[in-house]
Amino acid sequence: MQLYPLKLVTVVGETVIMDDIAKEGVALGATGYTLAEVSGQGSRGARAEIMTGAAKTMKCEFVVPMDVAEKILRHVSHDYFEHYACIAWLSDVQVVRGQAYVSH
Amino acid sequence: MFTLPLAALCGQMPAVLAVLNADQFARILDSLERNLLTPIPLCFVLGIVCTRIHGGIRIPKELYLSIAIFLLMSIGFIGGHELAHEYHEHGVSTIWKPALATLLLGCVTPITSYLVLRYLCRFSIADSAGIAAHYGSTSAVTYAVANSFVEQTQHPANSFLPTLVTILECPGIAIALVLGAALSARERAAKAGATGKPVRESKLGEALYEVMTGQSIMLMAGLLVIGFISTLFMDPKGFQPFYDFFQSKGMLFRGCLCIFLLEMGLVAGERLGDLVKVGPALVAFGILMPLVHGFLGVYLGHVAGLNLGGCTVLGAIVASASYIAAPPAVRLTLPEANPTLSITAALAITFPFNIAFGIPIYFEMAKWVGAT
Repeated sequence: MQLYPLKLVTVVGETVIMDDIAKEGVALGATGYTLAEVSGQGSRGARAEIMTGAAKTMKCEFVVPMDVAEKILRHVSHDYFEHYACIAWLSDVQVVRGQAYVSH
Repeated sequence: MFTLPLAALCGQMPAVLAVLNADQFARILDSLERNLLTPIPLCFVLGIVCTRIHGGIRIPKELYLSIAIFLLMSIGFIGGHELAHEYHEHGVSTIWKPALATLLLGCVTPITSYLVLRYLCRFSIADSAGIAAHYGSTSAVTYAVANSFVEQTQHPANSFLPTLVTILECPGIAIALVLGAALSARERAAKAGATGKPVRESKLGEALYEVMTGQSIMLMAGLLVIGFISTLFMDPKGFQPFYDFFQSKGMLFRGCLCIFLLEMGLVAGERLGDLVKVGPALVAFGILMPLVHGFLGVYLGHVAGLNLGGCTVLGAIVASASYIAAPPAVRLTLPEANPTLSITAALAITFPFNIAFGIPIYFEMAKWVGAT
């Protein structure tokens, strides 16, 4: 089976910023994203969702080529790390139908 | 420059207290007792107690979200219905003054909150503006509790109070956020110059749009319009079932309010630990600022021609702080503000204070200024 080496960018952070991060990732060249509600504990604990029923923490994932991954990580670290509870990392992945993840 | 008039105001406090004689104190205590020992505040207390002793009450998310929808729709629909009657009988003559007073209060309270927080409590610009945004807006649940209180005391509020709640919701958040964003932009620009990093784009417009199109405004204002239109244009017999469902002689509404307050008690209970972190200045602010704003609301309400119940409820909603709409808006616009401060103040200090002590005090204030 043909697999394509790509990068998985994972951003976990407070819910209030995650929709924006997903959209900004697409603007930077990602072809799509996956958003999921998650739970956990971190060093900052700053949250704004009270009684709205929304999860306090969300995870956003992008499967992208290296150049886009770098752009997303740079953007997230510059715009969000200072003031928001947020963490981001990069992993190598082998993807089926890899062509779908490269925007034209 | 602002501390002088504030200090003068504080200097007046003993004189104000001296005006309250023993008889008035007895009346306030009596009102407190009548308010505190009723199911709505007691459910809130049960929630807090349950959290503190790690008890087993869990309100499913879907249930309290559904209840919030019902409460907001009910407030809006009944408000729209009563507004239509008021409009039919008096036109806009009885409504425009209270509406204008409410708008004025919505613009003044974020500014007074900001000045007190910044210059008396010495919080940073972002923290002061963030907390001020919460106190400039209002809490629909506080409205519901205040309205139930005045109904229980046989002094129902003017019919158009729900309209005033919707007027009060937005301007406070907007003014405080614009103020905070403008003032902290200078700091950010200076910092950007020093570090060489470009300034992050402000999300003020986006945050304000979300507040204005948020659930509480859309449901309450939407149902207000629906209630208003259907009262004017629908056959009364056809209208009755809708009215019965939303009004339900107050039964469904008050029962739902008990469940909602239980959930709020559970959430507030978790926040009680943060009281130690936020410091005495914010605790004092969370109690004293509502009293000042509440008095302003009661007084201006009286000047604008509201009745005793109406003045009480207006005082309560002006004194209340938002804890659902404001936090995400503040978080997006003023990221350097610490959300623990504002949420703890609004939810763990001011909300309990208002439903336990504030509302009966505003009721007595309303009597004191001569509302009938």
